[in-house]
Order: sequence, then structure tokens, then C-alpha cells
Amino acid sequence: MKLNHLGQFLGSIKLAVPLLGAIATILIFTTFYESEVGSAVVQQEIYKSPWFGALMFLLALNLGISTLSRYPWRGARKLGFAITHWGLVVIIAGSAAVIHLSVEGMLLARTDAGPVSSLRVEGDLLEVAAPGQEPQQASLFIKSDGTVVPNRVGNLSLLGYSDRAIKTVHFETGAAVDNPAVRLRLSSDRMGQTLDRWLAAAPAAYRQIDIGPAELQIVKADSPQALRQALTAPAENPNNPWGTLQVSWAGVSRTIDVRSQLGQTSQIGSGELKLLGFWPDFRLDSNRQPETASPQFRNPAVQLELANGETTERWFVFSNPAFEPVRAAVQPPDFLRPIAADIRYEAPVSPEPDAFFRVVVDAQGSLHYAARASQGFKSGPLAVGEAIAPGWADFEITLAEYLPQAQVKRATVPLPETAPADSGEPALLVAVGAEEPVWVPWGEPTTVSTPAGDWYVAFSPKLLQLPFAVKLNDFIVERNEGSESVAMWTSAVTLMEPHTGERADRRVWMNHPTWFKGWKIAQASWNPGDLSQSTLQVKREPWWVTGLTWLGSLMVIVGVGTMFYGRSVAKKLRVVADLLGMPEVEERESVGTIPIMGFFLGR
Amino acid sequence: MMKLLKFAIGLCLGLLLIAAPLSQFQPSALDALETMTVQQGGRKKPLDTVAQETVAKIHGSTTYLHDGIRESSMETFLSLWLNNRNWNEEPFVLLSYRPLKEQVGLDPDQKHFSFETLMRNQALGAVVREAHQVEIRGEDLTRDQREAITLEDRLTLMLETVSDDAIAIVPHPTDIKGKWVGITEGQSLYPAESVAPLLANFATIKQTFLSGTRHLPLLAPLAASLKSGLTALSPEVYPADSVMRREVFFNHFHPFAKAWQLYGIAFIFMLAALWIKPLELYWSAIGLFVAGVAVQSYGFWLRMQIAGRPPVTNMYESVVWVGFGIAAIALIFELIYRSKYYLLAAAPLSVVCLILADSLPAVLDPSISPLVPVLRDNFWLSIHVPTIALSYASFALALGLGHVALGSYLFTPQAKSRIQLLSQLNYRVLQVGVLLLTTGIILGGIWAHFSWGRFWGWDPKETWALIALLCYLVPLHGRLVGWIGNFGISVASVVAFNAVLMAWYGVNFVLGTGLHSYGFGTGGSELVIASVVGLDLLFVLITAARYQGWLIKSGEPDSAVSPNPFGS
Repeated sequence: MKLNHLGQFLGSIKLAVPLLGAIATILIFTTFYESEVGSAVVQQEIYKSPWFGALMFLLALNLGISTLSRYPWRGARKLGFAITHWGLVVIIAGSAAVIHLSVEGMLLARTDAGPVSSLRVEGDLLEVAAPGQEPQQASLFIKSDGTVVPNRVGNLSLLGYSDRAIKTVHFETGAAVDNPAVRLRLSSDRMGQTLDRWLAAAPAAYRQIDIGPAELQIVKADSPQALRQALTAPAENPNNPWGTLQVSWAGVSRTIDVRSQLGQTSQIGSGELKLLGFWPDFRLDSNRQPETASPQFRNPAVQLELANGETTERWFVFSNPAFEPVRAAVQPPDFLRPIAADIRYEAPVSPEPDAFFRVVVDAQGSLHYAARASQGFKSGPLAVGEAIAPGWADFEITLAEYLPQAQVKRATVPLPETAPADSGEPALLVAVGAEEPVWVPWGEPTTVSTPAGDWYVAFSPKLLQLPFAVKLNDFIVERNEGSESVAMWTSAVTLMEPHTGERADRRVWMNHPTWFKGWKIAQASWNPGDLSQSTLQVKREPWWVTGLTWLGSLMVIVGVGTMFYGRSVAKKLRVVADLLGMPEVEERESVGTIPIMGFFLGR
Repeated sequence: MMKLLKFAIGLCLGLLLIAAPLSQFQPSALDALETMTVQQGGRKKPLDTVAQETVAKIHGSTTYLHDGIRESSMETFLSLWLNNRNWNEEPFVLLSYRPLKEQVGLDPDQKHFSFETLMRNQALGAVVREAHQVEIRGEDLTRDQREAITLEDRLTLMLETVSDDAIAIVPHPTDIKGKWVGITEGQSLYPAESVAPLLANFATIKQTFLSGTRHLPLLAPLAASLKSGLTALSPEVYPADSVMRREVFFNHFHPFAKAWQLYGIAFIFMLAALWIKPLELYWSAIGLFVAGVAVQSYGFWLRMQIAGRPPVTNMYESVVWVGFGIAAIALIFELIYRSKYYLLAAAPLSVVCLILADSLPAVLDPSISPLVPVLRDNFWLSIHVPTIALSYASFALALGLGHVALGSYLFTPQAKSRIQLLSQLNYRVLQVGVLLLTTGIILGGIWAHFSWGRFWGWDPKETWALIALLCYLVPLHGRLVGWIGNFGISVASVVAFNAVLMAWYGVNFVLGTGLHSYGFGTGGSELVIASVVGLDLLFVLITAARYQGWLIKSGEPDSAVSPNPFGS
């Protein structure tokens, strides 16, 4: 075969040696770099980069040409050489095909959820729609230092990434209608902390804020009457602070005050009623014992014991009319003769909290305050910068800002370095042209306003729709005997093809994947904290790609074997070859002439 | 005929050394205790293994010097379990990491400390607490902190061992994989009347032991009846006595220690054969070497039987396997070429591998534990890893031959024919290594295709196996164009082995990343290994300088390396 000078060089061993040396050096550097920056980065920057691909292509070229230039491949050595080197070319081709033609992702399935058919593929997706234009999509890769690749999509600059951003709310002036909003600063020297909180008439969620022991409120008082009421200490309900029970039993009707009668027994006709317990915010604790969740009257309930001679029952009675009393028989242990009583619990309507700080906006837009603590109640006018001690420990409240016409502004901001790990959500920092940069939260389509119009930006996980659905029926965790260490985990899945309705029940465990419609489903990982969840790896690569790598592998092993030991085997087979009348397959070589198998082949 | 006779003499001598002392084949007086079954660490094992593992983990060695008497692991464990001495004050707990000792104010020259000393050390407690904080935050531990946590594990294990219920010896009534319980917890599984006699039996054993007897054999009949009582509780679940006996035999037989002793003796015989021609010890040396390979094979076979899985699944097993591979490959080549050098190069390397495996239980843990899921139930594991490890063994043998060759270049450069021969021998071994490593990498790819869904993913362990292969392919191809000659091949077989070391050990301990993380350990001997590698490279450099004629011929080379040409 005639080759020109370049071809000769490309196929020469003088290129091969430095090329192999260079690849080895690059790989050594890469593995150390990888231990610094992580696998994802080196995959992106090196192994899947065009220049590394070009290097591999050069290697394949070198292997291929060198093999061709030594044609014909006479003798075991040359034949082995040719098979090995072509095998390597086939493997490199197969690997390139894998990178470009295979699809792979993770699928999170749950036993307590429905079938899943979307696959989480590595990387993130950015969808951008400029005003009046078609949406545009781009795959993102985020490096461990927060750099985003690519750094532009259309006219949108991608400036940075944070995996710990939170959504915040603040108010700005500029609303068309009256909407008073105040920013209160709470400070305590003893607690060593300062908090800022916004209160606003709208949205409603900002009218009251619970800050643990006390509540912050904002109230609009449009009439002098309402103003007076808002600034007056709330009246106690001195008569029945815990409410009353309306009992009608055996033809007798009675009203029982809960607070004074707690623990007491009342005679009602021939029966006896004992008030056993009271809970203002009833719930069951982890031991299924009643307790109160808060001192507020959110779900008031009482427990009673009713006895009429031979029958004794215990009732839980709730003030919420939608809840029927819960009854338990004490004596006899079944409801042979159930007690026929009608009991209603009238609890006080939720009173004012024990401690609150109320900002009152009067009709003229001036501010007043009312503060209540266990020590007492006080009220007065409120001005910006003025500090008021409401009487909660050493807390002081300062009006930091007052906006009569406030509008709500939501924004996403990254947390400072000092914030605890694993708080916050991922977010992407983007900017349109030279506009102010904006953080876009992960998984939530966001509108970015610019003078030219609204941009629509969505930063979301990259998903792929599978042609079938996976339902996790059971996730089985086997443990090593007598210990907590895991021996094996197995996912029992049903695979469903939506069009034909074909179903297949399969079991997937480590090293034992299953195949369905050309896709391979393998057990990837699990969540030790949640055994109803399993992560499966789903992958498809064309059969001929797999075939190429396997063929190449076989060729390399057979080739190396033939190259090194073929001659010795051939010698052994010479007798057979002579019998068959085959020509001599021997050729002198300057290197490697000691037959290694000689010992076994009989001398 | 003479050859065969000499071979037989060597072989018989070897077998005799294996069999001595004969007492190891007879059950010991404590047989019933040693073979009593314990469920621990996810499998059932004899008490003898538990004793060895516990003592080795806390003390760093399987024997303990108490009052001037060297106690076996069984004696020490019984004393600890039944608590018959003041273990608070016994200097029993291993703490060898100097910087930590200096930091917390302990005597840096002392190796073992008492439980009390360590528990009362406030500074040490602070280091441990800080280490846990760091762990919770998910950050990397410093060496000090890792050592402190290992020490805490030792103290916890010691505390847990001093309890009647420290070991689960009461079998589950029905489930073959059910959880066993300690002796006094037996009533949770069985009616009181069937457990009571066993409790009484145990109490008598404890009483006898606590009464201060130095004659453990007195316990034998009591232990035998306790064991038969435990067996009778759940004969279906309780494993066969022969299974436990096999493991106890394996523990006491020390096949790998016997193997390296035989390799050592064979080495000396072969040296004698080389230097003292009239003795003609060649075939006897081969006989001894064959005996060594045989006893090591037998050891592997026993270990596979006990663990019920392929031979190479962790770092310890890979080191022993490589030692075996070096010996086996060298033996095959020796039988083909009769050159003496294969055996001479292989024996010291096998000995080093096996001594390392035997003496560093903290780094190379010899205990048999259940496999992690990804390694389970796997045909490819049983061929991929041994193939790769055998290729490492071939390259190690090439390293040995390379040293012999370089030593010849350095000390006897006039022996041209020997140098030529050594290069040829080396080339054969490199061929085997290249074939095995290529095959091993490809087998790994096939396994990865099944397990991780891809043939090749540039995982660090994969990449380093490829780097190692390239490091050998570059000089082998360079030789074809005549860029390097015999000397170059010798240098390459020494230098390129560093890539093998990195692929084998370094990826796990130096890089510490990647999917092959189930083979990872705490490491800790990086400095030692780095200095050995450094000295070796210095040796290569000096030889190269000599070869290039940079050193004055009359002057002795100023070498930091031992003059032994077989290793550094």
C-alpha cells in the first residue's frame, strides 16, 4: 500500500509512542485534578471535550493507518498485531458512539406513588423567551465553583449559580391604592438578636405574624370608634374563660362552667358527670395521649366521665360542631346500654393572644400602637425611629419604615456563606443585557421585567419522557444476618407500555438489570431513611454500539494473545497444518523470538 | 532421575515444614469453646475467630503479654469477656499514632495504654468530640481525627466485650438468618425451662474461670456441654461442627505465613545453587517453592470455602493474591526456562507481600465480612479482580527482574550475557502482564456495562489501570523502534510499576474518589510507601548514571540503597 509522507508519519510508531505518553500524562493529571474538583467537572472539561476527542481520533488514525501500512499480515505476530490494533480502533469508535448516541438518567420511584415515566437526565435545562420571540432552550452545566457553561443564552447572560438561595419578600412604595406597610425592628440585648419583620394590610398573610411568644398585627381603623376599640385593652371574659358545657341527659338540662368544675362531679338527674380534663388546642401526642398544641383556643375539647348506676362511659367532647363526641365504654366494656345524653361544648371564641404588638393606621394615615404583655396593656402614637418596650422581657420594638402605599416585591437571594449547610434551593443569576442581575429559582418559571418587556426564564431539571412507565411495587432490603448492614436491595417493578397496554413484572437488583423495549433498567441506589423509595438507572444505547465495544474487546484480547503466543501455538499445530496441506505460517522477527509455551508444547 | 529425587527431597522438606508441629492437626483442649458458634458482623463464626478479631482490633496484635506471659487471643478474650482481672488498668489498647499522643499529652513512646488512662484524658475526649462534629458536617477528617475515632472504636469494642451478652451465641429458633442473642437474653427466644440449664452451665464456666484457674482445659467438659445444649436448642439453624472446625483450623494453620517461610527458604537454596555450584540445590529449591505455592493455594481454597465467595474482594486479599500470583507465575517461567532468576526475583517479593498482609491488620484487615451489595452475586467479580491482580503480580515480577538486571548493571556491568538473559526473561513477564491487564480491564468494562450501565466511564480506578497499561506499552513500543534497549526495558519495568502501585493502592488511599470506593480504607502508610518509592527511584537514577558513564569507575557508588540487588 502506497502512502505519502504524512500518512507514513500518521501511521508510524514514532507518532504512537509520544502520543501514548501524552495520553498517559494527561490522564494522570486529570485524575489528580478530579480529586480536587469532582467527577462531573472533569467529565465535562476533559473526557467529553472536543480536544480529548480529537486526541482519541488521532490515536485511532494512528492505529488504523499503522495496521494498514503493514499489510499483508503474514505470520501470527503480524496477524495478532493487526487484530489488536483494529480492535482498539473499534473500541474507540464504540466509545465515541456511546457519548453521542446513548441516553441515560435516573428514575426515582416510590412504592406509595403512581407509575413514573419521566427520566432525570444529568444537567439542567434553561428555557428563555425574550419579549415577542419563540422560546429557546439550552443545556446548562454548572461547575463546582458556581460558573455556568454556557455563559450566554441569546441576549441573556448567565452570571452565576448558587445552590443555597432563598425567596424573600419586602415592600416598596409605589402602589396605586392605599396599602399601609410597616417594617418593625425587634431587638433584645439579653437574647442578643435583632429581627426585622414586615407587616402589611395586603396581602392578608402579612396582617399578622406569629413570632413565638407574641404576635405582631397591623389594623386599619377607618372610624374613630374602630380606632378606640383597637387601642383599648381587650376585655377578659371573667365569667366563663374556658367556656361552658350544655348537658341534656335523662330529661334534665344543665349548664356547667368548665374552669370551675374541672375535676368535680355534678349530679344530673340520676346520673353523675365528672369533668376529667380540658385542652384548648386538642391533639394526640406520639403516645396517643391527649395534649394541647398551644394555649390558643384552636380546637378546644374536654373529657368527661358519665355514670348512671351500672354503666360508665368516657367521652371526649369538642367545641367544633363538626366533630361528634368520641365515646369509650368503661363498665361494662361494651356499649350494651349506651348512655343517651346530649352534650355540647361552647368554648369561648378565640380571644386575643396574651401578648401582642398592634400597629393601628387611622383614617388620616397616622400610626398608633397597642401593646399587651402579661404585665399590662399600653397604647399611644407611633413614629418612625421611636422605640417602644412592649413589656416582653427586654424586647424593644422600633418602627423602622412606614410605607402608606406599599406594594409587595418578591425576590430570590443567595444565602450568606455562614448560613447552615443544606438550607436553601438552587438558583441561577441572570441578566438581560446591561440590566440589573436577577436570581431565578430552580424549578420555578420566573418573569424578568425589562424596559423592553417581560422575559420568561425557566431554570429546571433536564427531564426525558420514557416510552413506558415504571411502577415500584415493592422495595426489598435484605440485611446480613443479625445485623443492620445491607446485603442486597431489590426493586420489584411493573413496566407498562401505554399504547399496547403491555405489562411486565420484573425484579431488579445490583448487577442484575432488566431490559424492556430496548431500555436497560438497573438498581442504582437507595435512601436508607426512606425504604419506600428506590433510584433506578435507566439507559438506552443502540445495540450496535454495545456490539462494537464487545467486538473490539474480543479482538484486542484475541489479538494480544495471538501476537505474543500465536507462533508457539502455531508450531504445535504445524503437524496438523501439514496434514491439511496449509502453507507455512512462520516468519522471522528480530524481536520476541523465545516461544513462551515451549515448555507445554513438548521439546 | 537425580533431578526428580532432589525435587522430591525439597518438596518433602517443604511439606514437613508445613506439617510441623503435628499438634496443629489435633483438636486443642479448648476445642469446644473455640468452635462454639457466634453470630457477629453479619455471619456465623467460631468463637476462636471472634477472639482473634476482637483482640487484634483493640490490641493491634493477636497475642497479649500479661505479667510476662504471652497469652493467646482466646485466653485474652475469655479474660475480657468474663472479666476476671482489672481491665481498667491493663495497658491493652493500641494507640500508635505519635502526633495524636503528643497532642493529648500521652507518652509518645508508649504503644499501649490502659482503658482508664484513655477514658480520663480530657484532651483526647475533646479531639473525639470535634471529630464527630466534623463528620456530622460532612467535612474531611484530619489524620489526627481519624486516629481518634479509630481509638474510640477500640474503647467502645472493649467496653462492649465485658458483658455476658457481648457475643450472640443463642441460636434463633427457626430462621436460618434470624438474629441470635446473648446467653442471658435466651429467654426472649425460648421457654425458660430450656434456657435455664444453659444459664447454669454458663454460670459454672464463669465461676470456674473467676476462681482463678490457670488451667483453661478444666473448662473443656463444661464448654462442651454448653455447646451441645446450644446446638440442641435449634439443630436446624445451628451450623455444622465441621464448618466451625474448618475455620478454627484455618486460623491456627497460618497457611500464608507458612508460604512465605517456604519462599524464603527456597530463595536461600536458590542462592546457594547459584553461588555454590557443587551443591546442585536447584531442584530442591524448586521443590520447596512448589510446597510454598501449594500451601498458599490450599490457604486460598480454605478461605474461599469459609467466606463462600471469590478469592479477591478487598485490599488484604489482593495483597495475598498478588504474592501468590508472583510465586505462581515465576514458578511457571522457572519451569520453562530454568534460569534461577525468576525464582530469585519472585521469592523476596512474595515474602514482602505476605509479611505486609500478616503484620498490618489495621491497614489490611484480614477479617472475613459480608460483601457490599455491588460486589455480591457476581460472576464478573470472580474473574475480573483476580485477572487484574495477576497482571499486577506479573508486573511485580518484572519489577523484581528489573532490579536484578539494574543491580547487575551497577555492580557487574561486565556480565553482558547475564544482563542480556535477564532482559529477555523480563520481556516474557511483561508480555504476560500486558495480556492479563488488557484482559482484566476489558472484563471490568463488561462488568461495568452490567452494573453501572457503561463499558468505560473514566472512573479513576479504570483510568489508572489504563495509565498503568500505557506506562508499559510506551517502553515496549519504544523498544520496537530502537529508542530504548535492554537497559531501558529494565528501567521501565521498575519505574512503570509505580503506575501499578497507584492503580492498585494509590487510587483508593491517595485520590480517595470514584465508584470503586468499596475497596477504600483508612490508609495511613503513604509516607512509608512514598519513601520506599523515592529510594527505589534513587537507585534507578544511580544505575542510570553508572550506565551512562557519569560515575568514575574506580569509586564505589555513593548509594543510599542496600547493596542487595534484589530489592530496595
